[in-house]
Amino acid sequence: MSSASAPPSATVGTAYPVTLTDDAGRKVTLSAAPTRIVSLAPSNTEIVCALGACDELVGVTDFDSYPAQVASVTHVVVGAVVDVEKVAAARPQLILAAGNGLTPGPVIDQLTQLGYPVLSLYPHDLNGVYADVSLVASAIDASPAARELVLGMKAREAAVVSAVSGSKSPRTFYEVGVYQGAIYTAGQDSFLASLIILAGGRPVTGDPVTTAIQLEDLISADPEVILLGDGAYDPSVTPATVGARPGWFAMTAVRDGRVEVMQEDPVITRPGPRIIDGLEALAHAIHPELFH
Amino acid sequence: MRATVAAPSTPRTIAIGPSLTRTTIVLGGGAILVLGVLVLAVAIGSVGVGLDDTVGILAHRLLGLPLAHTWAPWMEQVIFDVRLPRVLTAMLVGGGLALAGTVFQALLRNPMADPYIIGTASGASLGAIAGLMAPVLVPGLLIGAGSSWLGLGVVQLLAFGGGLGTVLLVYAVSRANGRVPVVTLLLTGYAVSAVLAAGVAMLMFLSGQRLGAIFGWLMGSLAGARWIDLAFAAPLLGLSATLLVVRWRRLNLLLLGEGAAAHLGLDVEREKLALTVLASLATSTVVAISGTIGFVGLVVPHVLRLAVGPDHRLLLPASVLYGAALLALADLGARLAGGIPVGIVTALIGAPFFIWLLRRSRTLRPVVVP
Amino acid sequence: MSAPVQLDALASLTGVSFSYPLPDGRSREVLRSVDLRLPRGELVALVGTNGSGKTTLLRLLTGILRPDAGDVSFDGRRIGDWRRLELARRVAVLPQQLDLPVGFRVAELVEMGRAPHARRLFASTEADEQAVIRALADADALDLADRFAEELSGGERQRLLVAMALAQEPDLLLLDEPTLHLDLAHQVALLTAIRRLRDQRGLTVLAVLHDLNLAAAFAPRIAVLDGGRVVADGTPDEVLRPELVRRVFGVAVDEALTADGRRHLALRAP
Repeated sequence: MSSASAPPSATVGTAYPVTLTDDAGRKVTLSAAPTRIVSLAPSNTEIVCALGACDELVGVTDFDSYPAQVASVTHVVVGAVVDVEKVAAARPQLILAAGNGLTPGPVIDQLTQLGYPVLSLYPHDLNGVYADVSLVASAIDASPAARELVLGMKAREAAVVSAVSGSKSPRTFYEVGVYQGAIYTAGQDSFLASLIILAGGRPVTGDPVTTAIQLEDLISADPEVILLGDGAYDPSVTPATVGARPGWFAMTAVRDGRVEVMQEDPVITRPGPRIIDGLEALAHAIHPELFH
Repeated sequence: MRATVAAPSTPRTIAIGPSLTRTTIVLGGGAILVLGVLVLAVAIGSVGVGLDDTVGILAHRLLGLPLAHTWAPWMEQVIFDVRLPRVLTAMLVGGGLALAGTVFQALLRNPMADPYIIGTASGASLGAIAGLMAPVLVPGLLIGAGSSWLGLGVVQLLAFGGGLGTVLLVYAVSRANGRVPVVTLLLTGYAVSAVLAAGVAMLMFLSGQRLGAIFGWLMGSLAGARWIDLAFAAPLLGLSATLLVVRWRRLNLLLLGEGAAAHLGLDVEREKLALTVLASLATSTVVAISGTIGFVGLVVPHVLRLAVGPDHRLLLPASVLYGAALLALADLGARLAGGIPVGIVTALIGAPFFIWLLRRSRTLRPVVVP
Repeated sequence: MSAPVQLDALASLTGVSFSYPLPDGRSREVLRSVDLRLPRGELVALVGTNGSGKTTLLRLLTGILRPDAGDVSFDGRRIGDWRRLELARRVAVLPQQLDLPVGFRVAELVEMGRAPHARRLFASTEADEQAVIRALADADALDLADRFAEELSGGERQRLLVAMALAQEPDLLLLDEPTLHLDLAHQVALLTAIRRLRDQRGLTVLAVLHDLNLAAAFAPRIAVLDGGRVVADGTPDEVLRPELVRRVFGVAVDEALTADGRRHLALRAP
């Protein structure tokens, strides 16, 4: 549930000074439009660039891969460790952090105490992404671009929803990873689960906190479609190897050959502007009969 | 202290306690080392700031000298707001851990004792991790980063309370007939730690995305050190350190065994309680702001005993100074290695060092059994 | 001899009883209504079988234990009225053995004996240093002063322990079976030194000994503990008679006279 608040009108420019509320409920005040932005998460970087402010990025993470021009920006986060000295040396006027502890709380505290405006973004669903785009736009005075971007995303979302609306939703299992016998998937009420629902599937979900699901529960849930998110990174995860796993061969999805590697996992799990690409990829995989 | 014997034959001097020269060298050298490490650690970091600018900034902010600013504002921020509090915190933590380790080794008459041995680490860890996990376990609870009491985060307060509370619990459980046998204290501490560690493991299992934060806390890290943490820790550490350093004579007496110490006028049970409380106060304070950094409290006392002798008169203040310098250096290494938790550095250096110490078994057994 | 506080004795026990608590809730009675006077300047040996309460009696005199009944007094006041530190300045214990921490020199360990008198926070006073030197000299341990404790032989260690006790400048010296681990020569040396110190420093000494003949040779007065009571208290001649020895220790002995006319007890061969 996003609690971002946007300025009075999304089409008018931002009036500074402006006080915004981020996804963690923190109130942050900006006195002028920032021209130097540090992003502490790849999704935040993509939002900034999608709003046309890519040139204003002075610090990104070593995980940022899109768009190509961010490759030349200084890495202030290396190996998931935020280097506060490098952030300070970049002299940012706005820092975009990741919520829910992905950017560690103490780091956000420290950056705030050093006097930097820090907006913490953590969307729980698509509407949250739209709100985050608007929030960032309000901060950097790019509201017209945001409106356009969000309208486009909403249109594509609506298109997907209407395309799948008449069809029966198959039980869909999205495999995030399997480690030491523990199976990780979309947690109950999670962002990923909401995407699967929008894409016309009925998600088989795991524990809301650990996102793990027991094999017995998975077998009894009997998914009709299995999407291998981890297959995008691990070549040993394929429909053939998955079908050979003990206990898995009896699942409907395996018997029907509806096991597929999701190469688009990076955009499905990155809550940025390209999330709609991920939604479309999910819909294509869940309802191949509808999209050709 | 040297005294002259008015003996019938030739007068000779007898050395009683450390000489003034040795005291000066050890403590004066330690102070100089601390100062040197302070400047070095503040001058070096992942971002380059010239030495002249570093010194200028320090002189300007700390001494109030009205210098012309040859440096950019962000440099001043890096030196004074990012590095200086971190280095000072490292020194406070290192000094506190080394001191507590020295005290526990004498109190428990056990060379393997470290500051965490009677439960501080597991209690503080459980408290801190519960704080880190609270927003996850109780959705909608907006605590942790961002909410604070007197400027201290919930995590730190829970760590402090957890550590101190556990030690007092262990102490109370170990009491029988008004006495607390040292062996009972050790074993109870071990048992309670095991139970709390299970709780920690459970929370780690449930942690999901927060596992990294939890791991960082357990390994011990000085990242994110703030002036407010120093304002909390410095008075507490100063108080406990002062009260411990003046107890050097009683610690020496305890080395003779509790019976002999009692015959020499020491109220043994009360002293054991005082030492436990003071050393645990120092440890809990330190753990609350830095997590559980290992090896400093175990290795520094042994190294110093080798170098300086076992007399606590010199050993206690020396442990504060050299522990401070050591951890600040280790943290510098951690920063240069990519911001890894400093506990990893102390483990990587401390463990082989400890093995080397083991081979010099003489100091490792602080008491000789006749 | 029934007043609760003895004014002319340095220390005394009057009607003292003591029991040790056992784990199962019962208690083991160790001393039963014990009376013992220690006049100033006397050298008294305390003998008895194992478990007869000798060590307990010593502990009651140091104030570590409190009697269940009766009074223990030192220098005119009940032991319970003394502060522990005050008492430690007057009463010293010479133990059988001591944990000696590694890395301390003999002089430094002797200085630990000054702890009850220590006034300054970090340094010693002139008086402390002189007391240490005197203690080392009197204990015949001056030559050991710079040696490390862990390097000492058994006899040297004994001299160190004596010096540590003397550094307290006590009026009352309690010896807890100090000869237990010593060979004959060292036993004699120690007790000779104790006698000398008693004369030199005006000490009052209570020595728990297990060897009856040794006690007879060195102590002008012997008290015998049996079953928690003092069953004999007097000169060696008065006390160490074969009947008493057989009754208390359960062994048969013969009396003999030594060359210098003293009584000696010889074990009868089984």
